[in-house]
Amino acid sequence: MSSTIVPFGPQHPVLPEPLHIKLVMEDEKIVDAIPAIGYVHRGLEKLTETKEFTQNTFVVERVCGICSVMHAMAYCQGIEELMNIEISDRAKFLRVIWAELHRMHSHFLWLGLLADAFGFESLFMQTWRDREKVMDIMEETAGSRVVISCNTIGGTRRDLTKEQMAKIITTVDEIKHDLEQVEAVFLNNYTVKHRLVGVGVLTKADAIEYCTVGPMARASGIAMDMRTTGYSAYGQLDFEPITHNDGDCYARTYVRLKEIYQSIDLIKQAIAKIPEGEHVVPFKGFPPKGDVISRVEQPRGEVLYYLRGNGTKNLDRLRLRTPTFANIPSLLKMLPGSQLADVPMLILTIDPCISCTER
Amino acid sequence: MIENLVEITSDQLLAEVQKCKYDGYRFVTTTSVDNGDDTIDIVYHFDIDYKMKNLKITVKKDEEVPSISKVYVSALLVENEIKELFGVNITGIIVDYGGHMLLSEEELGSPMLRQQITIEKRGGNS
Repeated sequence: MSSTIVPFGPQHPVLPEPLHIKLVMEDEKIVDAIPAIGYVHRGLEKLTETKEFTQNTFVVERVCGICSVMHAMAYCQGIEELMNIEISDRAKFLRVIWAELHRMHSHFLWLGLLADAFGFESLFMQTWRDREKVMDIMEETAGSRVVISCNTIGGTRRDLTKEQMAKIITTVDEIKHDLEQVEAVFLNNYTVKHRLVGVGVLTKADAIEYCTVGPMARASGIAMDMRTTGYSAYGQLDFEPITHNDGDCYARTYVRLKEIYQSIDLIKQAIAKIPEGEHVVPFKGFPPKGDVISRVEQPRGEVLYYLRGNGTKNLDRLRLRTPTFANIPSLLKMLPGSQLADVPMLILTIDPCISCTER
Repeated sequence: MIENLVEITSDQLLAEVQKCKYDGYRFVTTTSVDNGDDTIDIVYHFDIDYKMKNLKITVKKDEEVPSISKVYVSALLVENEIKELFGVNITGIIVDYGGHMLLSEEELGSPMLRQQITIEKRGGNS
Protein backbone atom coordinates (compact mmCIF):
# COMPACT_ATOMS: atom_id res chain seq x y z
CA MET A 1 0.00 0.00 0.00
CA SER A 2 1.34 3.44 -0.86
CA SER A 3 1.76 5.84 2.01
CA THR A 4 0.55 9.43 2.36
CA ILE A 5 2.10 12.19 4.45
CA VAL A 6 -0.41 14.19 6.50
CA PRO A 7 0.97 17.35 8.11
CA PHE A 8 -0.26 17.95 11.70
CA GLY A 9 0.42 21.48 12.92
CA PRO A 10 2.36 23.70 13.45
CA GLN A 11 -0.92 25.26 14.58
CA HIS A 12 -3.86 23.04 15.40
CA PRO A 13 -7.16 23.82 17.13
CA VAL A 14 -6.51 21.48 20.06
CA LEU A 15 -2.90 22.47 20.54
CA PRO A 16 -2.29 26.20 20.47
CA GLU A 17 1.46 25.70 20.38
CA PRO A 18 3.66 25.38 17.30
CA LEU A 19 4.55 21.71 16.98
CA HIS A 20 4.59 20.25 13.50
CA ILE A 21 4.46 16.50 12.98
CA LYS A 22 4.59 14.81 9.60
CA LEU A 23 2.40 11.72 9.90
CA VAL A 24 3.21 8.98 7.41
CA MET A 25 -0.13 7.23 6.85
CA GLU A 26 -1.26 3.98 5.30
CA ASP A 27 -5.02 4.31 4.97
CA GLU A 28 -6.16 5.64 8.41
CA LYS A 29 -3.21 4.12 10.26
CA ILE A 30 -0.02 5.99 11.17
CA VAL A 31 3.16 4.13 10.27
CA ASP A 32 5.73 6.81 11.08
CA ALA A 33 5.95 10.29 12.58
CA ILE A 34 8.61 12.94 12.05
CA PRO A 35 8.56 15.99 14.36
CA ALA A 36 9.68 19.48 13.39
CA ILE A 37 10.39 21.94 16.16
CA GLY A 38 12.12 25.31 16.29
CA TYR A 39 9.23 27.70 15.65
CA VAL A 40 9.57 29.52 18.97
CA HIS A 41 13.25 29.08 19.79
CA ARG A 42 14.16 32.19 21.76
CA GLY A 43 17.76 31.56 22.83
CA LEU A 44 16.97 32.10 26.52
CA GLU A 45 19.94 29.94 27.62
CA LYS A 46 22.26 32.29 25.74
CA LEU A 47 20.49 35.32 27.21
CA THR A 48 21.27 34.13 30.75
CA GLU A 49 24.99 34.45 30.01
CA THR A 50 24.57 38.19 29.45
CA LYS A 51 22.45 38.83 32.57
CA GLU A 52 23.64 38.87 36.17
CA PHE A 53 22.91 35.71 38.16
CA THR A 54 20.36 37.58 40.31
CA GLN A 55 18.48 38.75 37.20
CA ASN A 56 18.35 35.24 35.74
CA THR A 57 15.58 34.26 38.19
CA PHE A 58 13.25 36.43 36.10
CA VAL A 59 14.60 35.11 32.80
CA VAL A 60 14.02 31.44 33.66
CA GLU A 61 10.48 32.22 34.84
CA ARG A 62 9.74 33.33 31.32
CA VAL A 63 10.76 29.99 29.80
CA CYS A 64 7.18 28.91 30.48
CA GLY A 65 4.40 30.69 32.36
CA ILE A 66 2.60 27.54 33.48
CA CYS A 67 5.56 26.20 35.48
CA SER A 68 7.32 29.52 36.17
CA VAL A 69 7.44 28.97 39.95
CA MET A 70 9.23 25.64 39.54
CA HIS A 71 11.74 27.09 37.04
CA ALA A 72 12.69 29.85 39.46
CA MET A 73 12.71 27.36 42.34
CA ALA A 74 15.14 25.01 40.57
CA TYR A 75 17.40 27.90 39.56
CA CYS A 76 17.43 29.47 43.04
CA GLN A 77 18.13 26.09 44.67
CA GLY A 78 21.12 25.63 42.36
CA ILE A 79 22.57 29.09 43.11
CA GLU A 80 21.93 28.62 46.84
CA GLU A 81 23.88 25.36 46.75
CA LEU A 82 26.76 27.01 44.87
CA MET A 83 26.90 29.91 47.34
CA ASN A 84 26.19 27.84 50.49
CA ILE A 85 23.07 29.80 51.36
CA GLU A 86 20.77 28.11 53.86
CA ILE A 87 17.23 29.42 53.43
CA SER A 88 14.74 29.58 56.29
CA ASP A 89 12.23 26.79 56.95
CA ARG A 90 9.40 29.24 56.40
CA ALA A 91 10.67 30.04 52.90
CA LYS A 92 10.81 26.33 52.10
CA PHE A 93 7.16 25.88 53.01
CA LEU A 94 6.15 29.04 51.14
CA ARG A 95 7.87 27.72 48.04
CA VAL A 96 5.94 24.44 48.35
CA ILE A 97 2.59 26.25 48.72
CA TRP A 98 3.11 28.37 45.59
CA ALA A 99 4.58 25.45 43.65
CA GLU A 100 1.58 23.23 44.39
CA LEU A 101 -0.84 26.04 43.48
CA HIS A 102 1.00 26.24 40.17
CA ARG A 103 0.74 22.48 39.68
CA MET A 104 -3.01 22.71 40.33
CA HIS A 105 -3.58 25.44 37.73
CA SER A 106 -1.41 23.61 35.21
CA HIS A 107 -3.36 20.37 35.62
CA PHE A 108 -6.70 22.21 35.47
CA LEU A 109 -5.58 23.91 32.28
CA TRP A 110 -4.66 20.54 30.83
CA LEU A 111 -7.93 18.87 31.88
CA GLY A 112 -9.84 21.72 30.23
CA LEU A 113 -7.89 21.36 27.00
CA LEU A 114 -8.53 17.61 27.07
CA ALA A 115 -12.28 18.17 27.50
CA ASP A 116 -12.16 20.66 24.62
CA ALA A 117 -10.27 18.15 22.47
CA PHE A 118 -12.92 15.48 22.80
CA GLY A 119 -15.63 18.10 22.27
CA PHE A 120 -17.09 18.41 25.79
CA GLU A 121 -17.46 22.19 26.02
CA SER A 122 -19.30 22.42 29.35
CA LEU A 123 -16.71 20.17 31.04
CA PHE A 124 -13.97 22.41 29.65
CA MET A 125 -15.67 25.49 31.12
CA GLN A 126 -16.27 23.88 34.51
CA THR A 127 -12.61 22.88 34.75
CA TRP A 128 -11.33 26.31 33.80
CA ARG A 129 -13.76 27.95 36.24
CA ASP A 130 -11.91 26.15 39.03
CA ARG A 131 -8.58 27.13 37.52
CA GLU A 132 -9.68 30.76 37.85
CA LYS A 133 -9.99 30.30 41.61
CA VAL A 134 -6.35 29.21 41.78
CA MET A 135 -5.32 32.16 39.62
CA ASP A 136 -7.22 34.51 41.93
CA ILE A 137 -5.27 33.17 44.92
CA MET A 138 -2.03 33.85 43.10
CA GLU A 139 -3.12 37.36 42.19
CA GLU A 140 -4.07 38.10 45.79
CA THR A 141 -0.91 36.64 47.30
CA ALA A 142 1.73 37.50 44.72
CA GLY A 143 0.31 40.31 42.63
CA SER A 144 -0.01 38.55 39.29
CA ARG A 145 -1.80 35.54 37.92
CA VAL A 146 0.73 33.47 35.96
CA VAL A 147 4.35 34.60 36.23
CA ILE A 148 4.22 35.38 39.94
CA SER A 149 7.94 35.89 40.69
CA CYS A 150 7.67 34.63 44.26
CA ASN A 151 11.09 32.95 44.40
CA THR A 152 14.35 34.75 44.93
CA ILE A 153 17.85 33.68 45.86
CA GLY A 154 17.73 33.28 49.65
CA GLY A 155 14.02 32.53 50.00
CA THR A 156 10.82 34.08 48.70
CA ARG A 157 10.04 37.67 47.71
CA ARG A 158 6.74 37.71 49.62
CA ASP A 159 5.27 36.18 52.75
CA LEU A 160 1.77 34.86 53.42
CA THR A 161 -0.33 36.26 56.24
CA LYS A 162 -2.52 34.05 58.45
CA GLU A 163 -5.62 35.47 56.77
CA GLN A 164 -4.26 34.65 53.33
CA MET A 165 -3.45 31.11 54.40
CA ALA A 166 -6.95 30.67 55.86
CA LYS A 167 -8.42 31.90 52.58
CA ILE A 168 -6.22 29.50 50.60
CA ILE A 169 -7.54 26.59 52.68
CA THR A 170 -11.17 27.67 52.14
CA THR A 171 -10.60 28.04 48.39
CA VAL A 172 -8.82 24.72 47.90
CA ASP A 173 -11.62 23.01 49.84
CA GLU A 174 -14.13 24.60 47.45
CA ILE A 175 -12.05 23.47 44.50
CA LYS A 176 -11.89 19.93 45.91
CA HIS A 177 -15.68 19.87 46.17
CA ASP A 178 -16.03 21.09 42.56
CA LEU A 179 -13.44 18.61 41.32
CA GLU A 180 -15.33 15.71 42.86
CA GLN A 181 -18.27 16.68 40.65
CA VAL A 182 -16.30 16.69 37.39
CA GLU A 183 -14.09 13.72 38.32
CA ALA A 184 -16.94 11.31 37.67
CA VAL A 185 -17.28 12.65 34.12
CA PHE A 186 -13.57 12.40 33.33
CA LEU A 187 -13.19 8.92 34.77
CA ASN A 188 -16.58 7.19 34.37
CA ASN A 189 -18.47 8.77 31.46
CA TYR A 190 -18.99 6.22 28.66
CA THR A 191 -18.22 8.61 25.78
CA VAL A 192 -15.17 10.08 27.46
CA LYS A 193 -13.81 6.62 28.29
CA HIS A 194 -14.40 5.59 24.69
CA ARG A 195 -12.00 8.34 23.57
CA LEU A 196 -9.34 7.60 26.21
CA VAL A 197 -9.22 3.94 27.19
CA GLY A 198 -6.72 1.87 25.22
CA VAL A 199 -5.59 4.87 23.14
CA GLY A 200 -1.87 5.65 22.88
CA VAL A 201 -0.57 2.90 25.10
CA LEU A 202 2.97 3.37 26.42
CA THR A 203 4.03 0.22 28.25
CA LYS A 204 6.20 0.36 31.34
CA ALA A 205 9.09 -1.20 29.40
CA ASP A 206 8.79 1.44 26.66
CA ALA A 207 8.52 4.24 29.22
CA ILE A 208 11.80 3.08 30.75
CA GLU A 209 13.44 2.59 27.34
CA TYR A 210 12.43 6.07 26.15
CA CYS A 211 13.37 7.74 29.47
CA THR A 212 9.87 9.15 30.04
CA VAL A 213 9.33 11.51 32.96
CA GLY A 214 6.52 13.00 35.03
CA PRO A 215 2.82 12.05 35.00
CA MET A 216 3.40 10.26 31.70
CA ALA A 217 5.90 7.88 33.33
CA ARG A 218 3.71 7.50 36.42
CA ALA A 219 0.74 6.59 34.17
CA SER A 220 2.88 3.74 32.82
CA GLY A 221 3.51 2.37 36.29
CA ILE A 222 6.84 4.07 37.13
CA ALA A 223 6.65 5.59 40.61
CA MET A 224 9.13 8.38 39.90
CA ASP A 225 8.57 11.82 41.39
CA MET A 226 11.41 14.24 42.17
CA ARG A 227 9.43 15.61 45.12
CA THR A 228 10.12 12.37 46.98
CA THR A 229 13.81 13.35 47.10
CA GLY A 230 12.69 15.86 49.75
CA TYR A 231 13.91 19.15 48.25
CA SER A 232 12.53 22.36 49.74
CA ALA A 233 9.97 21.31 52.41
CA TYR A 234 8.72 18.17 50.61
CA GLY A 235 10.81 16.00 52.94
CA GLN A 236 8.60 17.14 55.84
CA LEU A 237 5.31 16.35 54.09
CA ASP A 238 3.55 13.03 53.73
CA PHE A 239 2.72 11.85 50.19
CA GLU A 240 3.26 9.04 47.69
CA PRO A 241 3.61 9.33 43.89
CA ILE A 242 0.30 8.65 42.10
CA THR A 243 0.61 5.87 39.55
CA HIS A 244 -1.53 3.89 37.13
CA ASN A 245 -0.51 0.77 35.26
CA ASP A 246 -2.37 0.98 31.93
CA GLY A 247 -0.15 3.59 30.21
CA ASP A 248 -2.99 4.85 27.96
CA CYS A 249 -4.64 8.27 27.64
CA TYR A 250 -7.10 7.33 30.39
CA ALA A 251 -4.25 6.50 32.79
CA ARG A 252 -2.56 9.84 32.08
CA THR A 253 -5.85 11.65 32.76
CA TYR A 254 -6.30 9.67 35.98
CA VAL A 255 -2.80 10.54 37.24
CA ARG A 256 -3.13 14.28 36.56
CA LEU A 257 -6.62 14.44 38.05
CA LYS A 258 -5.55 12.67 41.24
CA GLU A 259 -2.48 14.89 41.46
CA ILE A 260 -4.77 17.90 41.93
CA TYR A 261 -6.15 16.24 45.08
CA GLN A 262 -2.56 15.51 46.11
CA SER A 263 -1.59 19.18 45.62
CA ILE A 264 -4.58 20.29 47.73
CA ASP A 265 -3.46 17.90 50.45
CA LEU A 266 0.15 19.11 50.26
CA ILE A 267 -0.92 22.77 50.47
CA LYS A 268 -3.02 22.02 53.55
CA GLN A 269 -0.18 20.05 55.15
CA ALA A 270 2.29 22.85 54.40
CA ILE A 271 -0.01 25.51 55.86
CA ALA A 272 -0.51 23.38 58.98
CA LYS A 273 3.22 22.91 59.48
CA ILE A 274 4.66 26.26 58.36
CA PRO A 275 6.90 27.72 61.07
CA GLU A 276 7.30 31.38 61.99
CA GLY A 277 10.39 33.23 60.84
CA GLU A 278 11.90 35.25 58.04
CA HIS A 279 10.87 34.46 54.49
CA VAL A 280 14.15 35.62 52.94
CA VAL A 281 17.74 35.78 54.12
CA PRO A 282 20.09 38.39 52.68
CA PHE A 283 23.05 36.76 50.99
CA LYS A 284 26.57 38.05 50.74
CA GLY A 285 29.92 36.79 49.64
CA PHE A 286 31.48 36.08 46.30
CA PRO A 287 29.35 35.32 43.25
CA PRO A 288 28.78 31.62 42.49
CA LYS A 289 31.72 29.52 41.34
CA GLY A 290 31.65 25.88 40.31
CA ASP A 291 29.19 23.44 38.75
CA VAL A 292 25.89 22.29 40.20
CA ILE A 293 22.83 20.29 39.12
CA SER A 294 19.39 21.12 40.50
CA ARG A 295 16.29 19.02 39.81
CA VAL A 296 12.66 19.77 40.58
CA GLU A 297 9.32 18.10 39.74
CA GLN A 298 7.26 20.34 37.47
CA PRO A 299 3.60 19.63 36.56
CA ARG A 300 4.88 17.87 33.42
CA GLY A 301 7.78 16.07 35.10
CA GLU A 302 11.38 16.45 36.11
CA VAL A 303 13.27 19.61 35.11
CA LEU A 304 17.07 19.72 35.32
CA TYR A 305 19.21 22.83 35.73
CA TYR A 306 22.96 22.66 35.19
CA LEU A 307 24.72 25.83 36.34
CA ARG A 308 28.37 26.75 35.96
CA GLY A 309 29.54 29.85 37.76
CA ASN A 310 32.95 31.44 37.23
CA GLY A 311 33.11 33.68 40.29
CA THR A 312 31.78 36.74 38.45
CA LYS A 313 28.25 38.12 38.32
CA ASN A 314 27.61 36.29 35.03
CA LEU A 315 27.24 32.55 34.76
CA ASP A 316 29.37 30.64 32.26
CA ARG A 317 26.47 28.34 31.45
CA LEU A 318 22.86 27.79 32.38
CA ARG A 319 21.43 24.67 30.82
CA LEU A 320 17.90 23.50 31.41
CA ARG A 321 16.20 20.33 30.27
CA THR A 322 12.45 20.49 30.47
CA PRO A 323 10.04 17.55 30.79
CA THR A 324 8.43 17.91 27.36
CA PHE A 325 11.88 17.69 25.76
CA ALA A 326 12.33 14.34 27.51
CA ASN A 327 8.85 13.11 26.55
CA ILE A 328 8.86 13.80 22.80
CA PRO A 329 10.72 10.54 21.96
CA SER A 330 7.98 8.61 23.82
CA LEU A 331 5.35 10.42 21.72
CA LEU A 332 7.19 9.31 18.58
CA LYS A 333 7.07 5.76 19.92
CA MET A 334 3.30 5.94 20.58
CA LEU A 335 2.18 7.49 17.28
CA PRO A 336 3.00 4.64 14.85
CA GLY A 337 0.16 2.12 14.92
CA SER A 338 -2.45 4.65 16.05
CA GLN A 339 -5.43 5.95 14.10
CA LEU A 340 -5.39 9.48 12.66
CA ALA A 341 -8.45 10.45 14.74
CA ASP A 342 -6.54 9.68 17.95
CA VAL A 343 -3.58 11.95 17.19
CA PRO A 344 -5.00 15.04 19.00
CA MET A 345 -5.65 12.92 22.12
CA LEU A 346 -2.20 11.37 21.94
CA ILE A 347 -0.33 14.63 21.57
CA LEU A 348 -2.42 16.32 24.22
CA THR A 349 -1.97 13.63 26.83
CA ILE A 350 1.80 14.11 26.95
CA ASP A 351 0.88 17.70 28.01
CA PRO A 352 3.31 19.27 25.55
CA CYS A 353 4.83 22.64 26.30
CA ILE A 354 6.67 23.77 23.22
CA SER A 355 7.96 27.02 24.68
CA CYS A 356 9.69 24.87 27.34
CA THR A 357 11.04 22.49 24.71
CA GLU A 358 12.64 25.21 22.63
CA ARG A 359 13.47 27.85 25.26
CA MET B 1 28.51 19.94 43.95
CA ILE B 2 27.96 17.43 41.11
CA GLU B 3 27.63 13.94 42.44
CA ASN B 4 29.37 11.00 40.79
CA LEU B 5 31.16 12.87 37.98
CA VAL B 6 33.49 10.68 35.92
CA GLU B 7 35.86 12.20 33.38
CA ILE B 8 36.43 10.00 30.34
CA THR B 9 37.68 10.35 26.77
CA SER B 10 35.43 10.35 23.72
CA ASP B 11 36.86 6.93 22.76
CA GLN B 12 35.54 5.46 26.01
CA LEU B 13 32.15 7.13 25.69
CA LEU B 14 30.11 4.43 23.96
CA ALA B 15 31.44 1.65 26.19
CA GLU B 16 30.68 3.66 29.35
CA VAL B 17 27.19 4.57 28.10
CA GLN B 18 26.51 0.89 27.28
CA LYS B 19 27.56 0.08 30.84
CA CYS B 20 25.13 2.68 32.22
CA LYS B 21 22.33 1.12 30.17
CA TYR B 22 23.27 -2.36 31.38
CA ASP B 23 23.27 -1.12 34.98
CA GLY B 24 19.70 0.22 34.54
CA TYR B 25 20.41 3.95 34.39
CA ARG B 26 17.87 6.31 32.79
CA PHE B 27 19.22 8.92 30.39
CA VAL B 28 18.42 12.40 31.67
CA THR B 29 20.12 14.79 29.27
CA THR B 30 23.42 16.08 27.92
CA THR B 31 24.96 19.45 28.68
CA SER B 32 27.61 21.17 26.62
CA VAL B 33 29.69 24.09 27.84
CA ASP B 34 32.05 26.23 25.77
CA ASN B 35 35.22 26.52 27.85
CA GLY B 36 36.22 29.75 26.16
CA ASP B 37 39.31 28.21 24.50
CA ASP B 38 39.16 25.68 21.67
CA THR B 39 37.49 22.99 23.79
CA ILE B 40 33.94 22.08 24.79
CA ASP B 41 32.85 20.09 27.84
CA ILE B 42 30.05 17.60 27.17
CA VAL B 43 28.44 16.09 30.25
CA TYR B 44 26.06 13.11 29.93
CA HIS B 45 23.63 12.84 32.84
CA PHE B 46 22.11 9.50 33.92
CA ASP B 47 19.86 8.61 36.84
CA ILE B 48 18.85 5.54 38.76
CA ASP B 49 16.54 5.81 41.79
CA TYR B 50 17.22 9.58 41.97
CA LYS B 51 21.00 9.04 42.12
CA MET B 52 22.86 10.64 39.26
CA LYS B 53 25.89 9.51 37.31
CA ASN B 54 27.60 12.07 35.09
CA LEU B 55 30.09 11.26 32.34
CA LYS B 56 32.19 14.19 31.19
CA ILE B 57 34.24 14.41 28.02
CA THR B 58 36.27 17.39 26.88
CA VAL B 59 36.63 17.65 23.12
CA LYS B 60 38.21 20.00 20.60
CA LYS B 61 35.67 22.05 18.65
CA ASP B 62 36.25 20.17 15.39
CA GLU B 63 36.59 16.73 16.98
CA GLU B 64 34.19 13.90 16.11
CA VAL B 65 32.00 12.63 18.94
CA PRO B 66 30.04 9.38 18.56
CA SER B 67 26.29 9.59 19.07
CA ILE B 68 24.81 7.67 22.01
CA SER B 69 21.35 7.63 20.40
CA LYS B 70 21.83 4.03 19.28
CA VAL B 71 22.05 3.09 22.97
CA TYR B 72 19.55 5.60 24.38
CA VAL B 73 17.02 6.60 21.69
CA SER B 74 15.87 9.60 23.74
CA ALA B 75 19.29 11.23 23.25
CA LEU B 76 18.49 12.06 19.62
CA LEU B 77 16.90 15.46 20.23
CA VAL B 78 19.55 16.77 22.60
CA GLU B 79 22.34 15.57 20.32
CA ASN B 80 20.79 17.41 17.39
CA GLU B 81 20.49 20.49 19.60
CA ILE B 82 24.17 20.39 20.61
CA LYS B 83 25.22 19.79 17.04
CA GLU B 84 23.35 22.89 15.89
CA LEU B 85 23.90 25.29 18.74
CA PHE B 86 27.52 24.41 19.58
CA GLY B 87 28.70 23.01 16.26
CA VAL B 88 29.95 19.78 17.86
CA ASN B 89 30.53 17.16 15.19
CA ILE B 90 28.32 14.38 16.58
CA THR B 91 28.26 11.45 14.18
CA GLY B 92 25.72 8.69 13.74
CA ILE B 93 22.60 10.27 15.33
CA ILE B 94 19.67 7.98 14.50
CA VAL B 95 17.57 10.90 13.21
CA ASP B 96 19.91 13.65 12.02
CA TYR B 97 18.16 16.91 11.14
CA GLY B 98 21.28 18.15 9.34
CA GLY B 99 21.57 21.31 11.44
CA HIS B 100 17.97 22.43 10.99
CA MET B 101 16.01 21.08 13.93
CA LEU B 102 15.93 24.50 15.61
CA LEU B 103 17.71 26.82 13.24
CA SER B 104 16.63 28.01 9.82
CA GLU B 105 18.86 28.37 6.76
CA GLU B 106 19.55 32.05 7.45
CA GLU B 107 20.77 31.60 11.04
CA LEU B 108 24.35 32.16 12.11
CA GLY B 109 26.24 28.90 12.58
CA SER B 110 26.67 27.62 16.17
CA PRO B 111 25.01 30.55 17.98
CA MET B 112 25.70 29.23 21.49
CA LEU B 113 29.49 29.35 21.07
CA ARG B 114 31.31 32.30 22.56
CA GLN B 115 32.07 34.10 19.38
CA GLN B 116 33.61 37.48 19.03
CA ILE B 117 31.34 39.41 16.69
CA THR B 118 33.01 42.43 15.08
CA ILE B 119 30.79 45.06 13.55
CA GLU B 120 32.64 46.91 10.82
CA LYS B 121 31.84 50.49 9.96
CA ARG B 122 30.96 50.95 6.32
CA GLY B 123 32.76 54.18 5.54
CA GLY B 124 31.19 57.65 5.88
CA ASN B 125 31.76 60.16 8.63
CA SER B 126 31.70 58.81 12.14
